[in-house]
Amino acid sequence: MRAFPVTITVALAAALVATGCSSAPEESAAGSTVRLLAHESFVVSEALVEQLEEETGITLEIISGADAGTMVAGAVLAAGNPTADAMFGVDSTLLSRALDAGVFEPYTSPELDTVIPSLREDTGGGMVTPIDYGDVCINIDDAALAAAGVPAPTTLDDLIDPTYRDMLVVQDPATSSPGLAFLLATIARYGDGWTDYWSALRDNGVSVAASWTDAYIGQFSGGGDGTRPLVVSYATSPPAEIVYAAEPKPEAPSTSAMADGCYRQVEYAGVLAGTPNPEGARVVVDWLLSQAVQADVPLSMFVFPAREGIALPEVFADFALDVPEPLALPAGEVAAGLPDWLAEWGSVMGR
Amino acid sequence: MTLPAWLRWSWVLPAAFLAVFLAYPLATLVRTIASSAGGFAADLVDTSLWQVAGLAVLQALASTLLALLIGLPLANVATRYRYRGRALVQALVTVPFVLPTVVVALAVRSLLGPGMPQGLALVVIAHAYVNLAVVTRIVGSQWAQQTGELELVARTLGASRWRAFVDVTLPGLRPSIITSAAVVFVFSFSSLGIVLLLGDATTRTLESQVLRQVSVLLDFPGAAASAIVQLVVVSLVLLLGAVASRGQSSRRRRPVPLHPLPTLPGPRLAVLGTAAFGSAIVLLPIIALVLASLRGPAGWTLDWWASLGSVDAGTTRLAPPSAALATSLGYAAVTALVAALVGGAAALAILVPGRARVIAVIGMVPLGVSAATLGLGTLLAFGRPPFDLRGTGLLVPVAHALVAVPLVIAVVTPALRGTDPRLAALAATLGARASRAFWTAHGPVLRVAMVASAALAGAVSLGEFGAAAFLARTDSPTVPVQIVRLLGRPGDQSVGVAAALAVVLVVVTLLLVLLIDRWGSTRTSRRSAVAA
Amino acid sequence: MTPRLSVVDLSLGYEGQVFMRGIDLEVGSGEIVAVLGPSGSGKSTLLGEITGVLPVPHGHVLVDGRDVTTAPIQERGVGLLFQEPLLFPHLDVAANIAYGLRRHGWDRRRATARAHELLNWLGLDGYGPRRPDQLSGGQAQRVALARALAPQPAVLGLDEPFSALDADLRRRLAVEVAAVLRESGVAAIHVTHDAEEAQAIADRVIELPSLGSPA
Repeated sequence: MRAFPVTITVALAAALVATGCSSAPEESAAGSTVRLLAHESFVVSEALVEQLEEETGITLEIISGADAGTMVAGAVLAAGNPTADAMFGVDSTLLSRALDAGVFEPYTSPELDTVIPSLREDTGGGMVTPIDYGDVCINIDDAALAAAGVPAPTTLDDLIDPTYRDMLVVQDPATSSPGLAFLLATIARYGDGWTDYWSALRDNGVSVAASWTDAYIGQFSGGGDGTRPLVVSYATSPPAEIVYAAEPKPEAPSTSAMADGCYRQVEYAGVLAGTPNPEGARVVVDWLLSQAVQADVPLSMFVFPAREGIALPEVFADFALDVPEPLALPAGEVAAGLPDWLAEWGSVMGR
Repeated sequence: MTLPAWLRWSWVLPAAFLAVFLAYPLATLVRTIASSAGGFAADLVDTSLWQVAGLAVLQALASTLLALLIGLPLANVATRYRYRGRALVQALVTVPFVLPTVVVALAVRSLLGPGMPQGLALVVIAHAYVNLAVVTRIVGSQWAQQTGELELVARTLGASRWRAFVDVTLPGLRPSIITSAAVVFVFSFSSLGIVLLLGDATTRTLESQVLRQVSVLLDFPGAAASAIVQLVVVSLVLLLGAVASRGQSSRRRRPVPLHPLPTLPGPRLAVLGTAAFGSAIVLLPIIALVLASLRGPAGWTLDWWASLGSVDAGTTRLAPPSAALATSLGYAAVTALVAALVGGAAALAILVPGRARVIAVIGMVPLGVSAATLGLGTLLAFGRPPFDLRGTGLLVPVAHALVAVPLVIAVVTPALRGTDPRLAALAATLGARASRAFWTAHGPVLRVAMVASAALAGAVSLGEFGAAAFLARTDSPTVPVQIVRLLGRPGDQSVGVAAALAVVLVVVTLLLVLLIDRWGSTRTSRRSAVAA
Repeated sequence: MTPRLSVVDLSLGYEGQVFMRGIDLEVGSGEIVAVLGPSGSGKSTLLGEITGVLPVPHGHVLVDGRDVTTAPIQERGVGLLFQEPLLFPHLDVAANIAYGLRRHGWDRRRATARAHELLNWLGLDGYGPRRPDQLSGGQAQRVALARALAPQPAVLGLDEPFSALDADLRRRLAVEVAAVLRESGVAAIHVTHDAEEAQAIADRVIELPSLGSPA
């Protein structure tokens, strides 16, 4: 009887060792498994994965890293001895932290030439490859504003006008990715004067939600049962309103995105430093930038493809706002300033 | 009674489980942080850390008080009286505990939001709502063992109904009240989703602090300091709870039948009214969910339910939303198995004199470990060679089992304690060896308790979100992860399908909990001893 | 003289079902009346209706001439002694006995002093600070008796209080209790299925079925 628990322990240890040994490195990509670490919003059509596996002989295993921030945190801690071979979804606000920690090993995809030139400017010195981009913009419930006889706002400055008192809901930048992007947009626009802008927003009755869901579904009049007609969301939220509408689909969305004050986020992929399968990882990065996957990106993740000349789906072409002059901050500046900005934002907003 | 010798070794399984899947990942994380950032001692003396901790303590105390205030009367009517629908009331109360926090937060917000701004009050109400089950289950299991005769004695000695409750009932329930209060405190103190969704600046927890430090600031030393303070506070509370709940064990071991409803109109109304009130509290948000799943922009519709089977309505472009149910049930089944084995062994170990307190406290510690911390630690420890367990699909059930084991221990232990040790003595005098005698005495109860724990762990697994978001594969989300993702995109369909999926989750959970109660109950509904 | 307990035209019922009617019974000061009947015959229901645990479907219960038919349990002046001692496990012996006195407005010091007097009277000197689980079965039952008699109830119901004890102790204790009850002046109503025990301590023995008529 005494042997019972000992047996279990030995069996457990044996199981651990066995699974450990099974993931030995392979020399060439074909026949190997590539583990792609991606944030929870990563979506790709099954057919594309099958096609990749057929054409290259690799097996793709997609691993969730929770939200992008937590995923990058995990990658930073595991830098040099990674938990996957490639990573997708590190965005421009997180990039410099990942680069500083040595998360990636250099790789320049042969497909990089196909990327929109402005996105090609920052690849972390040949470390990462831009895959998609999206803009965080103020979304407007046009129907609600029209019913109230109020013209739609057109600039960030309009939002502090008493006309829009108690109408805007934003997200807490400390807990929400679009919330952080909107904070960065105001810093990019107003420089050191950003705290005054936020004081004015506060005095104009802005509501701060913890998450996108809480803001858009809970408080925005265009997205659910809420009462506020202005919300921080994405430039692609209006077409998503159509795609995920009830049948019969409406002709046009009842919401629109405001062109001014949008903050651009670029999402990158890269080969993780120390991977036992760099060849396979490179194949997957190239695949993410391939014509087929890039064409799939809009309806899978509601972002724009980084590759030039990709035909957008009709609903995108019609209703997704192509932001003319997005705001952005250099990644290094964001990493350096963020802790202080969040603290200052907290004291301005009394949170 | 003479305990069989092998029983002394039953602690090895739970100890090994916790060492491998809790201590090792945490140690890996701490080692990594210490080596990459040069330590975090300085962060431990940061005043803002202690400010957050202090506010979290106050919030958790308020949440615990409210949960007890509503939970105690519910425990009374859900476990002691015989009336139609009692089993359903008992099962319903468990539902909030397994609903994803996002769903709870949206429901509480939509019911109370207009009159109550985001902040401490909403957070406390939501915590009390979620933790009702903890109070009713733990206190109820002890209350159900009380016959009411002691109260009757106090009444004949001149005590009013209320006085008898305070003088006799409460002291008798003290161990379970303290245990459940400690658990509710720990859950509220380390709460994440509800605090993020319904709280404001003053209602932070260390857990939300950890998430912010990890995922926004990448401030690992600060996060480690917060996580450690949280773990220390939680361990202290559990230890205090274990010490304070040490009570004289009840002399009465025979199963107590359910009481008939009081015949006097006042008390009768009080029992039925409390049952109705409790069910209403639990049901209101669920009814709101059902309505949301049946309502479209153009009125009533079944589209959302139909969409459960459509790939286009899903979030993966691989499988329909309903596929998440299969994923969740799969994880739940493995979790149930692991938790029943580990929890059952831990409960057996608790029977050994002298070890009980230590094992009960250690078994509860997973409750206090930050999900983000454990997620990162697990990733570092088991997400890469030499121990890469991700491909095995074991990590999610293991993480769920870590959450469920403390609850399983809480359920199994009282059941084992409740068996009559004289049975084993009797079996021994009839010539049974110690092992045989032990099984004769404890076997049937243990079997019932383990089946019940398996179902309970399964229910916990079905509703768990934090670990699943971290460890589940992106292409095969669990039901709560699927619901959260659906609620993370625009469109009527997203909300409607999420509501339908949440209703499915509620129904599956209810069925599981009804099964727990059926199997877990050894009580009959004979007439009460007083009236027979 | 007014009987301490009068039961007038009482019906016995359980959960709305009346199964016996027309019960009349009087018990005087210091008198012990045994009500004899097999289990399930309604003995406990009779006690329940006298003590107020169960509602009275029909008829009246009078204690010292006062109609207590609908009075709450604590205001009837009726004590109870069960098959098991049912001492409060979280209180020591003295506090158990003092409990009823405290509920009747005595201050702590006087109540504790009185508890010790009662312990002496029952031959349990020095047992005051003990915890209930440190007592033998017979001692515990004697403490329970002291606790029940302490607030000087007019009526004491005894629900087979000796049946959990072994035969020898049972006989000795029954005689002892009978003496105490007579001395205290309480009206005792003792329900049991044991005819021998009933004969040993009661002044009158009544077969329950003969008390009223079946419904």
